[in-house]
Amino acid sequence: MIRLLKIARREYVSYLRTPGFWISLCVAPLVLGFALMGGPKALQSAAPPPRLTVIDLTRSGFDRALQPTLSGEPPLAEIVAPPPASTDAGSPEQAIAPLRAALSARGERALDLVVIISGVSTKARVDFWTRDPTTSSLAGLVERAVGDRMRQNRLIAAGLPSNLLKSVDAVQPEVRSFSPRARSERVSFRDQAPTLLALGLAFVLWMAVVTGAGILLNSVIEEKSGRILEVLMSCASIPEILGGKILGVAGLTGTVLAVWGALGLAAVSRTSPHLLGELGGALLSHGLIVWFVLFFAGGYLMYASIFAAIGAFCETSREAQTLLGPLMIVLSIPMVFLSLAQQRPDAPVIVILSWVPLFTPFLMIARIASGLPLWQVAGALLEMAATAAVIMWLCARAFRAGALSGGGKLDVKRLLAAFARPAET
Amino acid sequence: MTPALDLQQVNKRYGDFHAVRDLGFSVEPGTIFGFLGPNGAGKTSTLRMVLGLIPPTSGRITVLGASDPTTVRDRIGFLPEERGLYRRMTPVEAVVFFAGLKGVPAAKAKRRGIELLESQGLGDALNRPMKALSKGMAQKVQLVCALAHDPELVILDEPFSGLDPVNQQGLEELIRGLADRGATVIFSTHVMAHAERLCRRIVLMARGRKVFDGTVREACASATQRLVLEGAITREQALALPGVVSVEAARIEDDGPMRLLADLARDAQPQAALKAAFERGLDLTQFRVEAPTLHEAFIVLTGGAA
Repeated sequence: MIRLLKIARREYVSYLRTPGFWISLCVAPLVLGFALMGGPKALQSAAPPPRLTVIDLTRSGFDRALQPTLSGEPPLAEIVAPPPASTDAGSPEQAIAPLRAALSARGERALDLVVIISGVSTKARVDFWTRDPTTSSLAGLVERAVGDRMRQNRLIAAGLPSNLLKSVDAVQPEVRSFSPRARSERVSFRDQAPTLLALGLAFVLWMAVVTGAGILLNSVIEEKSGRILEVLMSCASIPEILGGKILGVAGLTGTVLAVWGALGLAAVSRTSPHLLGELGGALLSHGLIVWFVLFFAGGYLMYASIFAAIGAFCETSREAQTLLGPLMIVLSIPMVFLSLAQQRPDAPVIVILSWVPLFTPFLMIARIASGLPLWQVAGALLEMAATAAVIMWLCARAFRAGALSGGGKLDVKRLLAAFARPAET
Repeated sequence: MTPALDLQQVNKRYGDFHAVRDLGFSVEPGTIFGFLGPNGAGKTSTLRMVLGLIPPTSGRITVLGASDPTTVRDRIGFLPEERGLYRRMTPVEAVVFFAGLKGVPAAKAKRRGIELLESQGLGDALNRPMKALSKGMAQKVQLVCALAHDPELVILDEPFSGLDPVNQQGLEELIRGLADRGATVIFSTHVMAHAERLCRRIVLMARGRKVFDGTVREACASATQRLVLEGAITREQALALPGVVSVEAARIEDDGPMRLLADLARDAQPQAALKAAFERGLDLTQFRVEAPTLHEAFIVLTGGAA
């Protein structure tokens, strides 16, 4: 046990000393802070909105109708007045002719988008001319605005007074959400917070597992390529080495999560102190925080053991790629279904996948906040724990074989042979 | 006296490959023991079994009186053939870490580590990261890591490789010092000169089998003696001497006498050849008997398996 702790300490301290650790510790809060403190605005100013001109050949006010949609704060487009040669044209083909050069040009006189509306006020046709054939970001907005205007024109043509039309357009329903599982039946943020938080925790768990297992992989590869593993094995048992390394990296990941969590709490308490209670309640509801810790432990142990075993066979990261590729595909599967697990936690595909031990940590966390029966969560946890134990046992065997092997190409066949007969690999 | 190491009928197979066959030998405590053999002879597999890194397929290994080597790993020091240390660690940190894994308290390990590192001429590099040290310096640091816990049994796998002659001599002195204070040293090497100078006993391996177990003198006796003959003597005259089986090389020195190197048959007596040379009136200016070296014995005993 003392050896295990010494190895864990070395693992922890060695990474604490690297610039990479401090960079990764700071990057996430910096990105989050940037996003919260007006980063999008800064990005907006760095990337000015597209320059657009609207030519309304119907002369029925479509260009004016588009103004409120496209301008605003921040503006979606910079609207440029069209040249008279275009507004006086008799057809869309004639209207675009004077603007073709501007669509191809660069600089201040360049145009990104030309919208030509032709036909009649109740049956209009919209032609989009774009600099780049792949640009279509404003097409949907323009289509809706022109469509609304066409419907209004028809209603006015049918005799509806324009002031009545305006008041009818302003009518909006009062929407209220209820659920028998909400605290006061009416759904509030407090009821949605656990689900949102669970989704966030599942994502954090995935990130932590991938990052931690990746660190472990590189650490083992460094020891393998640096011929250190054999010396370590003469000083400590495989469970001590593997356990120490896993514990050390877990401590490292835990430190990162703790720092991020503390910074997040500080930010929330400063900007929205009323949310602190909500978040605290959400973490405690359905035992979310307890399950998170348990599923984190299981998930981390499973993946860390697999990554470490792979690393023991490799002297370079390139050698590890052969098996890391398929493993990363497996790891990405729960991420694909994470959003669905939050929205429809009882969907059959989610239920089935959440019982697959390799996916359990991520999908179960995302489902827990919906109020799953205890037997489901506990059952999945036990199944995952048993699987983690088997995986760790097999990976310890493979780790021993890999650590003493002479390198060479690593493939599934060789890894399986190491699982089966570590002493003969 | 309980041997420091005892192997009986040890076999190791990797699938269809038989790496070690029916190996048996024992090593007395406090001696320097050479474990020799060409590449692929089974040395590394044997040492790994002795350390408990891999189990034997069959047979029995007793290390420092324990049938399970892992239970006495704190009393063993090991320097593997392929060496390396954590690149970001300093020599002192490395010694403290590895000695710590062997149960030495950090303060004691640090004190002992500094003492050993300074004795190896690394006093100026105590706190420099390993990646800044030369290969030879790093090797010495690793050696210190293997010895800082005062092991009773020291296993050194090719300890001289990569060291310059001055450091090789320093290592020889260190090994002798270990034995003087009572430690048992087992080392494998390709360089027979080191074994010849250091070892009382050797075991020679070839193709997974033990081909010799005894003293260096006994090993050398298995190779043939050689006569160095100088003077006005022809190859034919040399070959006609009793006991001479071949005249391997003849070298004509510029304006000097002819020198012939004549191999004797295993049981041949050099005195008989000398007597015959006098009787035949051969004009010899030098008649010298060269005892076979361990290197020559190695080639004979391994059947040229190297």
